[in-house]
Amino acid sequence: MNDRGAGAFDTSLTAIEPDKVKLDVQNLDFFYGPNQALKNVTIPFADKAVTALIGPSGCGKSTLLRALNRMYALYPGQRATGRIMFDGEDILRAGVNLPMLRARIGMVFQKPTPFPMSIHDNVAFGVRLYENLSKADMAARVEEALRRAALWEEVKDQLASSGLGLSGGQQQRLCVARCIAVRPEVLLLDEPTSALDPISSARLEETVTQLKADYTIVIVTHNLGQAARLSNFTGFMYLGELVEFGETAAMFTKPATQRASDYITGRFG
Amino acid sequence: MEHTLRAYDEELDAITAQLARMGGLAEAEVADSVRAIVKRDVKLAESVIGGDAKLDATELEIERKAIRLIALRQPVADDLRRIVGAMKISTNLERCGDLAKNIAKRALVIADSDPVTPLTGSIEGMGELVIGRLKDVLDALGARDVDRAVAVWSQDHEVDEHYDAIFRELLTYMMADPRTITACAHLLFVAKNLERIGDHATNIAEILHYEITGVELTEDRPKSDALEAYGR
Repeated sequence: MNDRGAGAFDTSLTAIEPDKVKLDVQNLDFFYGPNQALKNVTIPFADKAVTALIGPSGCGKSTLLRALNRMYALYPGQRATGRIMFDGEDILRAGVNLPMLRARIGMVFQKPTPFPMSIHDNVAFGVRLYENLSKADMAARVEEALRRAALWEEVKDQLASSGLGLSGGQQQRLCVARCIAVRPEVLLLDEPTSALDPISSARLEETVTQLKADYTIVIVTHNLGQAARLSNFTGFMYLGELVEFGETAAMFTKPATQRASDYITGRFG
Repeated sequence: MEHTLRAYDEELDAITAQLARMGGLAEAEVADSVRAIVKRDVKLAESVIGGDAKLDATELEIERKAIRLIALRQPVADDLRRIVGAMKISTNLERCGDLAKNIAKRALVIADSDPVTPLTGSIEGMGELVIGRLKDVLDALGARDVDRAVAVWSQDHEVDEHYDAIFRELLTYMMADPRTITACAHLLFVAKNLERIGDHATNIAEILHYEITGVELTEDRPKSDALEAYGR
């Protein structure tokens, strides 16, 4: 076991070809007012693959996720420096069209956030912001999104009833459907199953597995088994730094750093 | 560093401790079987034959504990390698026990025929070598010492060379005096069994290396091909 400790960023494990990188975070620092939450984070996110971000609470993984679609810009006093290249364009620079950016980089949160409207309207809501579809086209789009989120069969006969009437797991898949209905390129998932029962979690995991054929997916999770099952690449973060990044299979059989090893084996003291 | 969940450590340690006991048992079985050949000791041979069941039972118990731990703890990284390593090593030790049992059975037959003293001397020498390797690799296992494991692994050719020498020696005796053929044929199998025990020691060294470092030992070891001419 190499004992390089924290801060050693092991690039030897990574073999992502440059043209496969969809989102490329370079030397990212992030501040909540005076507090630095991310320190010089450099991490590539591969296209048509799932990348999991793991690490103890407060390590910065959700902060990193929220930086990827500039969700933080909603709050004063929060700022990021460095570069996040998205299809060759730095999304951190001033003048980026944030609504357009968030249409291309969608996000699903820890707790389901359905709107108090019908299932159909929940999914159509985002689409209406960006596109003007005919009723038939919209119905097709809603069905496609619900199918891709593995929810269609369960709700196809009750599209007009409220999204709030669904179970927690269904609500979360509804949020995934709402997110993918606008046809984003990147999907950010912030602990998407932490509020779900095991069956609903499994369904959502299956949805993510299906979606990775077409999307760049980044998932923050505290469930290490979930990271191992779902992701192609895993980044381990600690105290605002990316300690280790590599292929998931390598991370879970032979982590390169002692810190990551201690965390995934349950030895974190 | 210890796991946050202490019961996890206790279960892992229990398997390691049992594996260590199993190693001691296998080593003793092999040593006793060779001694039974050399001393023409029927009682000792019978005790080896009877003792094999204990090794079989221990292997099964380690396997059960390992499966239970995998099911309940979902080990990863070094924990996963350690538990898979323990299962594989116990299988190798169990095979050593089987081979010792086979040697002991042949000791019973050999004790019935006329002594072939110079030959049993060669077997004794090969036995010491193989038992030494088994002991070395079990020490490496106990101390989790990669260097010692690699040392055992890289010396595999010594046992092969010993086996080749005994093979030639036995052929010579059988040609000179056909009355020794029965005993010599059995001794040939004894030598072959010892060579296989040496191979298991090498396997254990490889498993231990992967378990500790996460890297497979893949380089080609020096091999003895002297027996190719005899159509081994």
